[in-house]
Amino acid sequence: MKRRSIVSWGSAGLVALCSGISVSLAAVLRFLTPSVFYEPPQDFKIGNPADFSFGPPTFLADQKIFVFRDREKGFAVANAVCTHLGCTVGYFQSDEQFHCPCHGSVFSADGKVQHGPAPRPLEWFEVTVARDGQLRVDKDHIVPASYRLMV
Amino acid sequence: MNPIRDAWQSVFRRDPLSTDKGKSELVFLNVWLHIHPAKVKKENLKVKHTFYLGFITFFLFIILVTTGVALMFYYRPHPPQAYQDMKDLQFVVYLGNFLRNMHRWSAHGMVICVFLHMCRVFYTGSYKRPRQFNWVIGVVLFLLTLGLSFTGYLLPWDQLAFWAITVGTNIGSYAPLVGGRIRELLLGGHTVGEAALLRFYVLHVAVLPSVVTLLTMVHFWRVRKDGGLSRPVWKLKEEKPAQLVTIGAPEPVAVLAAGPASKDKTYGLMEVVTGKPIFETVSMEEEEDTIFSYPYAFFREGIALLVTVASVMAVSIFFKAPLEELANPAKTPNPAKAPWYFLGLQELVSHSALLGGVVVPGLIVLVLLAIPYIDPNPSRRPADRKWAIRAFTLFVVVNIILIVIGTMFRGPGWALVPPWVHIAGGE
Repeated sequence: MKRRSIVSWGSAGLVALCSGISVSLAAVLRFLTPSVFYEPPQDFKIGNPADFSFGPPTFLADQKIFVFRDREKGFAVANAVCTHLGCTVGYFQSDEQFHCPCHGSVFSADGKVQHGPAPRPLEWFEVTVARDGQLRVDKDHIVPASYRLMV
Repeated sequence: MNPIRDAWQSVFRRDPLSTDKGKSELVFLNVWLHIHPAKVKKENLKVKHTFYLGFITFFLFIILVTTGVALMFYYRPHPPQAYQDMKDLQFVVYLGNFLRNMHRWSAHGMVICVFLHMCRVFYTGSYKRPRQFNWVIGVVLFLLTLGLSFTGYLLPWDQLAFWAITVGTNIGSYAPLVGGRIRELLLGGHTVGEAALLRFYVLHVAVLPSVVTLLTMVHFWRVRKDGGLSRPVWKLKEEKPAQLVTIGAPEPVAVLAAGPASKDKTYGLMEVVTGKPIFETVSMEEEEDTIFSYPYAFFREGIALLVTVASVMAVSIFFKAPLEELANPAKTPNPAKAPWYFLGLQELVSHSALLGGVVVPGLIVLVLLAIPYIDPNPSRRPADRKWAIRAFTLFVVVNIILIVIGTMFRGPGWALVPPWVHIAGGE
């Protein structure tokens, strides 16, 4: 066998081997990535505006959100998931702040970090009125803390 | 001819154990025992050299596999049945609670023993040439042990499990670029749910144990190939023994030279080849300090096995593995704590998730893996490596302090509390 053919066949084989391995690895990664998520929808209705009282926010446990209703300003929806490591924060009427039980992060009523390790303020979700008059929250739409829905 | 005797000899094809040949053949004609040398150095059997920590770790792993397979008969990796099965194991299944306790306490024990084993190997300098790579395998096995603990932690599907894994996987998502994707792959979703439970289950009962088994085999095999256990530090001589001659040293002539070299033996191939052997040479004088593995080494290993199993059983009779209420994604327990061996990490994370959860642990793992290659000191004598010992001791002490703070001094909202809050049953 000629030296040249050894080199060319060898390098072709090496390229084939490497691409084979890469394709297999990519296939494994793709296989492990779910094509369908059997998770609660990100976009959901939470009930009629009249269901929510003024004053302290309503906590919806299943969706992990706080629904604020203010007489003048209207509706706002805050994410109850701490921006630090994903624990569920609690709202304390006594100091009007959110407290995270895991690592002690504290957020003000408008979601700003007061102290603790949380890197970002709490998220606020877009809330709109659906056609049937119910409030509709879309977790894929993050809005500024000043966002309000007047009904 | 006696047929029973024939049958016996077809299985055990060795000479009687009363002979030295029989004692040797017991070891090297037996697939389970042949990882041992036929003879071992007396000094290596001393408890104060190794504390048998490697053996104990291995035995705990065996207990974990055995009890783990038993638990699998009554466990369905799907919420909420997983939790119901825990309750069944606690109250309905015969010996269920005992087996679960054994599994839980052995898991804790294995984390402790792997760590102590690593400390022993460091302090005796046993990671040095030619054992550098075995140290690396050991560190990987340590990480896999933590991975096994972490994946097993979710399976009871109680509040403790759910929140520890929520926090733990969120730490991972702080890793730059790939963090979020790794978390999604691990959980099979965006939150800890049924997909996550199934993935953790498969990792816990199939993937990780297989990898650990394979690497353990390599780990043991390399111990053997590197000339057995490293010598106890108290046997090390002041200077490097120059009289040891390595077969196949610089000139190939030395291979055949019947001079001082013939007094030595290696564990290499008994054939004349060119090149340097990688294994330590052992001089003939040390040969006198060796004894047969049967019965001396096997007897001691048997004792270590019995003590390990008996201790785990005793602990499992008196202490119950914790089980909290059913996992509730809406209600975070306060404080929400990771398993104790991750509480040092959680303590760091409570100050900064990126620094404490990714950068510091990442650096620790890298340094641990690189220790044999960045330590330039060839000597194994403690007197020659004061700084290495001080640095490692600092690492161990800081670890312990962080874990103690996280376990005993952290209360609701991760606020500092005195430890008696927990003792008084502050929950």
